[in-house]
Amino acid sequence: MAKIRDMIPAFELFQPTTVGDALELLDEHRGQAWVLAGGLDSFDWFKDRVKRPSAVVDLGGISELTGIRELEDGIEIGAMTSLTEIERDERVRSGFSVLADAARHVATPQIRNQGTLGGNVSQDTRCWYYRSGWPCYRAGGNTCYAAAPQAMNREHCIMGRSRCVAVNPSDTAPALIAVDAKMVVESNGGSTVHDAEDFFIGPAIDITRMTVMKSQDLLTRIHIPAKWADADFYYEKIRDRGSWDFQLVSVAAAFRKSEGKIEEARISVNGVAPFPVRLDAVERLVQGTSGDESTASAAGELAIQGARPLRHNDYKVAMMRNLVRRAVRSVS
Amino acid sequence: MDIWRRAANPWGQDVLIGVSWDLMWSAVIAAVAFVIGHALWVRTRKEEAHEPPADVPAGIPEKIERHSFASRAFHWVMSIAMLVLLVTAFVPVMGWQFNWVDLHWQAGVLLILTVVYHVIHAIGWQDFWSMFQLGVSEGIATLKHILSPEAPAPPKAGKYPFDHRMYHHVIVVVSLAAIITGVLMMVRIDTPLWTRNPYLFSDTTWGVMYVVHGLSGVSLILLIASHIYFALRPEKRWITWSMVRGWIDREHYLEHFDPAKWVVTDVGMKSADGAAPGTGAVAEQIPSAKRED
Amino acid sequence: MAERLVGADIAPPDLHAKITGRARYAEDFRAPGMVFAKLLLSPMPHARVRRVDASRALAMEGVIDILRADEVPSRDGPREACLTDTPRYEGEPILAVAAVDEETAAAAIEAIEIDFEPLPFVIDPLESLRPGGPNAYVDGNQFSGQDGWSDFKWTDTDFAKVDAGEMPDPSCPVEWTKGDPESAFAESALVLEETIVHQSLTHHPMEPRSNMAYWEGETLHAFVSTQSSQQTKFALAGALQIDPENINLVSEYCGGGFGSKIAGTTVMQIPALFSRKINRPVMLRITRYEENYVGRARPGFQTWLKMGFLQDGKCNAIDLIIVQESGPYGAGDFNTAGMIADLTYTPQNMRFRGVSMYTNTPPKAAQRGPGGAQIISMMEPILEKAGRELGVDRFEIHRMNAPRGDVQFGPRNATLTSVHAVEALDQGREMFDWDAKLAISGKRNGSKVTGVGIGLSPYTAGSRGRDGMMIIRPDGKLYVHQGIGNLGTHSIADTARPAAELLGYNWEDVEIVWGNSARAYPRSTVQAGSQTTTAHTRANHAAATDALRKIREVAAAALGGSASSYSVDSGRVSGPGGTMTLGRIAERAIAMGGEYSGEVLPDDVHAQTVPAAQILAGEGLMGIARDNYGGEGNIYSWVAGFAMVELDEETGVVELKEYVGVTDCGTVIHPRSLGAQVFGGSIQGMGMAMTQRWVFDPQWGVPFANRFYTARPPGFLDIPADLKWGAVGIPDPQDPVGAKGIGEPPVGAGAAALTSAIADAMGGRCVCRTPLTPDVLLAEIEGRPMYGRLEQHVG
Ligand SMILES: Cc1cc2nc3c(=O)[nH]c(=O)nc-3n(C[C@H](O)[C@H](O)[C@H](O)COP(=O)(O)OP(=O)(O)OC[C@H]3O[C@@H](n4cnc5c(N)ncnc54)[C@H](O)[C@@H]3O)c2cc1C
Ligand code: HEM
Ligand code: SF4
Repeated sequence: MAKIRDMIPAFELFQPTTVGDALELLDEHRGQAWVLAGGLDSFDWFKDRVKRPSAVVDLGGISELTGIRELEDGIEIGAMTSLTEIERDERVRSGFSVLADAARHVATPQIRNQGTLGGNVSQDTRCWYYRSGWPCYRAGGNTCYAAAPQAMNREHCIMGRSRCVAVNPSDTAPALIAVDAKMVVESNGGSTVHDAEDFFIGPAIDITRMTVMKSQDLLTRIHIPAKWADADFYYEKIRDRGSWDFQLVSVAAAFRKSEGKIEEARISVNGVAPFPVRLDAVERLVQGTSGDESTASAAGELAIQGARPLRHNDYKVAMMRNLVRRAVRSVS
Repeated sequence: MDIWRRAANPWGQDVLIGVSWDLMWSAVIAAVAFVIGHALWVRTRKEEAHEPPADVPAGIPEKIERHSFASRAFHWVMSIAMLVLLVTAFVPVMGWQFNWVDLHWQAGVLLILTVVYHVIHAIGWQDFWSMFQLGVSEGIATLKHILSPEAPAPPKAGKYPFDHRMYHHVIVVVSLAAIITGVLMMVRIDTPLWTRNPYLFSDTTWGVMYVVHGLSGVSLILLIASHIYFALRPEKRWITWSMVRGWIDREHYLEHFDPAKWVVTDVGMKSADGAAPGTGAVAEQIPSAKRED
Repeated sequence: MAERLVGADIAPPDLHAKITGRARYAEDFRAPGMVFAKLLLSPMPHARVRRVDASRALAMEGVIDILRADEVPSRDGPREACLTDTPRYEGEPILAVAAVDEETAAAAIEAIEIDFEPLPFVIDPLESLRPGGPNAYVDGNQFSGQDGWSDFKWTDTDFAKVDAGEMPDPSCPVEWTKGDPESAFAESALVLEETIVHQSLTHHPMEPRSNMAYWEGETLHAFVSTQSSQQTKFALAGALQIDPENINLVSEYCGGGFGSKIAGTTVMQIPALFSRKINRPVMLRITRYEENYVGRARPGFQTWLKMGFLQDGKCNAIDLIIVQESGPYGAGDFNTAGMIADLTYTPQNMRFRGVSMYTNTPPKAAQRGPGGAQIISMMEPILEKAGRELGVDRFEIHRMNAPRGDVQFGPRNATLTSVHAVEALDQGREMFDWDAKLAISGKRNGSKVTGVGIGLSPYTAGSRGRDGMMIIRPDGKLYVHQGIGNLGTHSIADTARPAAELLGYNWEDVEIVWGNSARAYPRSTVQAGSQTTTAHTRANHAAATDALRKIREVAAAALGGSASSYSVDSGRVSGPGGTMTLGRIAERAIAMGGEYSGEVLPDDVHAQTVPAAQILAGEGLMGIARDNYGGEGNIYSWVAGFAMVELDEETGVVELKEYVGVTDCGTVIHPRSLGAQVFGGSIQGMGMAMTQRWVFDPQWGVPFANRFYTARPPGFLDIPADLKWGAVGIPDPQDPVGAKGIGEPPVGAGAAALTSAIADAMGGRCVCRTPLTPDVLLAEIEGRPMYGRLEQHVG
């Protein structure tokens, strides 16, 4: 079939106003329905006619999905809350600045106005072979074009690969892992809460999805427990341009200190694997230290253990090492 | 129902990429149907009385070694490999997801090693031809007997009866197809063995390979399911046990096998009541029975 | 006294419409019964169409018809047709379908069954130069009009050197030598040898080349996106083989072209031909994705450079080999690059060898500073490296090598009308405070290192001999008819200013007429090569001079006295006999007829001007003339760019902290607009140096980075808030107005200032490839270079 791009084919649009209705619709159109949040990922797919859902369930009219609420234990962010709101919200900025920071690094103000937190963590990879509609593993095919000997894979992963070598593109994902966020996923059958780090899955588990969610699931809320409020945070994203660009590598970290020593840490890196990576070993390593230069160096080296670059992304190893080093260094 | 999975390659050409998973479901359904069908069918048939021979020829020990330890070890290692391959290949498609690829190819390598071992062993140490004799008349008789209980029972078999031989042949062909394509497919995935290169063959060739691999995989669902089923059937358990213990008893031997075709002597047998039979008294060590065809 | 128009900041007349959204671009036009066309693009980089079955598509409701390659003009050899059955790059248009709406047309394209036979293809030109390597065409890789196709290869010996990382000694189709490079190198105190790769990158103007057309009898109405108006009409007529006077070409606004829309674009033919076939207006909206393919690209270079220097830093010899990645239809950048190397470093001894290789990548075309921008961005850091190694101040090494007024360059010893590169450097040094900046070069702040660098970039900036045409109507206003395009540079207005000033007009009484060929244009330049400012300030000056003579003569005839004693100011002409409004003068001119009202035209105006003048004749006092001012030598402008960067050694990220661009472009007509050009061009160059890319998968021959966000032109946050510009402001002595063009020189300056500053931050190490993205720099810092020295199309 000849290729046409930049033209959305017709679909049936549903605009439920309650989560219950949305879940019912998803169940009814199981496998055929597409959840639409801000549309910045969705419309890309539709426009290129690569993904052609017959039914689109727009969450835009479900008011219970938007907004940030204070809970006894932390805060709760509705999946449809815009990235701009997260970037600007006083509670997020003061208590969990790493998330506000991460949100601020997404693309451009226009995209942040439109993009939602739920969509941002649920978005698909930007591997351009896959995005071009090539029949790779992730698209249900039998090969990975990005891991071929001559392939253009500078943006691809250095760890966590399993046939697919794509990376998770989300800026907010590592920040949510750093604050130990809980992702509330609902379906017609009930709701499940996942730790942020388990919410993202790699191709070894399912090569066609980026998260635990299946087609009838909805991410409704993200709960950020108070535990990490006001911790020492670090966020950094390396990209090719100052804006409108996905990460090459990004790091998000939270440190709890007491008397100059790191009591506990959570460190997550994105852009290096098909899922945001949590660096448990590094977290343990830095515990009890002051984040001094030698700890930072050791942390960096530990972080990249087992990294296996592809032809064009060797630099990511050094970049990841250095970012982790910087994150740890930031404590002292 | 689709038979293939096809896709437009990056140049928009229509290529095969694998078998349709509908086939997998069909194979699963067929396997279940076969098991149930056979179980019911067997009930319609009257008990077959295998007359134990009146006189026990001399020199036939009480326990007759059927499978050496090495053969048994091979069988079980291979079956584990096979089961792992099946589970890793199909269970994720059925919806229970886990990291299947690494396990799959590693089990594949194990399978290959066992097969290589088996082939060498069979050629060098076993009666190779006891498996590779066609036995047309035996086959026809067996078939007739299956179709109609009235038909006379087929003549007693050598070490491997006709149905065992046929099963083995089919398994050989299908597994070899899976193995050969599987090995080549390993070029496309990450293994420590070589650098991945999806462009070793054209995508059309790869497509055929995936289809062959998939078809053999799907066939193996049927083959292995039926194999396990028969192994578990009460009237066959004595032979299943032989794959565990290594021997069958004299009664079963005389009941089911033709001592002329599967010649058993007591060479090397320690004692009739000895616990474990030693290496020995088996056809491997004597000239093979005369081939029928 | 009328206001001064030259040198003042005056908003151009089209700005309001642009800001309010009233401006109409080609895709905004509609016509009754209009249908939409969609293209079927080749999925393969080189192929032959074996079979097309459109029956299912044509049977769909709302589908009108299909246009195939055999229905459009085509020529043999490496020449582009608007539709083809032998596509030579992925994305080349194969056929078009028209339907009542775009959705239907798109669905119809998908319903077409089409079968291609893939053919061997080439993405990397070096592969095609290798003995036994593939060619971009079935018949060869070089083409000449006389001899047709040939198969051009370098030898195994050449490639043994190439593969060993050495400079080969190949034969090349283009070769010239000046002086005696061989002996000069022997005398050099320092010889630097480098292998440099410059990426190929798409133009990506904001407005894709959408266009619409319909026919009224024999007359074609074409609504197009083009850089040049008058010339585009003729180009389109030529392509369609119709009488230019039967084309009404509408191009009011153009959302940028950067050289990709110089005079007509190939896709412009599709709606014209399709609407003739189906007898309905046809709109072809080109999407961003399609623009990536049909929208042209800058050719990439793979280059070997040997540069010799005397002890004092003077460059005394250059040996330059350029392999150009030319796409399927060729490009001339590499020739210009050779010339510009000679011009900028004045080595006196130079050998240039170049080969343009056809490749199966989307077509190449001039992109802002074609050839010059590439070579400057590649060579300036090498020049600075020489300064560093010889212990010569880096500013001084630029200054001493820069040409003076007596420069002669290129194989035929071309000369310049004027050159003030040294003054531009000096002024930039002041504005940038080079000496203070140099002191902090190499300074560390945590993981960040400061680097400073300079890029001096020339480019052609003018041509001569065009026609000017203007008319003063009885309403007293001056109507300047501009056949140049309106691609956002303000030149439609700015090139009229010296003329209006000469005629004593206040700007509010000047009307610019442009955008629709029915409104009559004189013969104009293509708006390319930065010619427009020079060419049309001159031509309009000539026409205004003609108008002034006529005004005086009409006034003298009406009021008495000698014509020469009359002068104009603020819409009036005054002299010994009294004063009259120019409106009255226009009425009188109409009455007088003859040359005054344009009934009689000067003999030397271009034949293309005549029918346009005839449209206006009798409507007022006409000023019309050919630019006969003449002149000797080439017209070139210069920009000296100064940049300060901070390189983060832990991430490879470069932050541009400061930039100053100083230009020598003669008389400054419109400061704000000039500043915008210096900035815009420099920023485009910065994108070239740092962010923008185009990437091909070598297995499939297909480009990625097809979108804005993946192609990564620089964004607002990639440039410092405080860019500065300056102008030397010395008029060109051979020119009545003294202005030279400015569109192109800044690109090389912006790019080279950055490549130099980055090399400085890297401690003098040149990475010798663009774009210098964080990955490339970090890998270099880590001592694990990312790409092969000569790898093209990687990013
Ligand atoms: C040019 C460009 C640049 C970008 N740069 C960046 C960047 O630098 N960093 C970054 O992080 N992102 C970037 N993005 C991505 C953008 O921020 C995300 O795509 C966007 O946030 C996705 O959110 P959305 O609300 O638009 O969701 P959509 O596009 O509507 O949805 C995204 C996906 O998530 C699913 N989904 C959405 N909400 C839910 C839910 N509640 N439950 C279940 N599934 C759901 C949808 O079905 C869809 O598959 C960029 C996007 C563009 C277009
Ligand atoms: C004999 C039992 C086997 C069965 C039932 C089986 C089944 C399958 C199936 C169904 C697939 C998925 C194919 C597809 O996606 O279309 C698969 C993939 C694969 N198999 Fe097997 N296989 C078997 C043996 C082997 C062996 C022996 C090897 C190698 C040593 C092997 C290596 C692979 C590899 C590498 C893949 C993944 C290829 C890819 O995803 O690109 N398999 N197998
Ligand atoms: S990296 Fe993943 S998404 Fe990209 S081509 Fe390979 S399998 Fe597809």
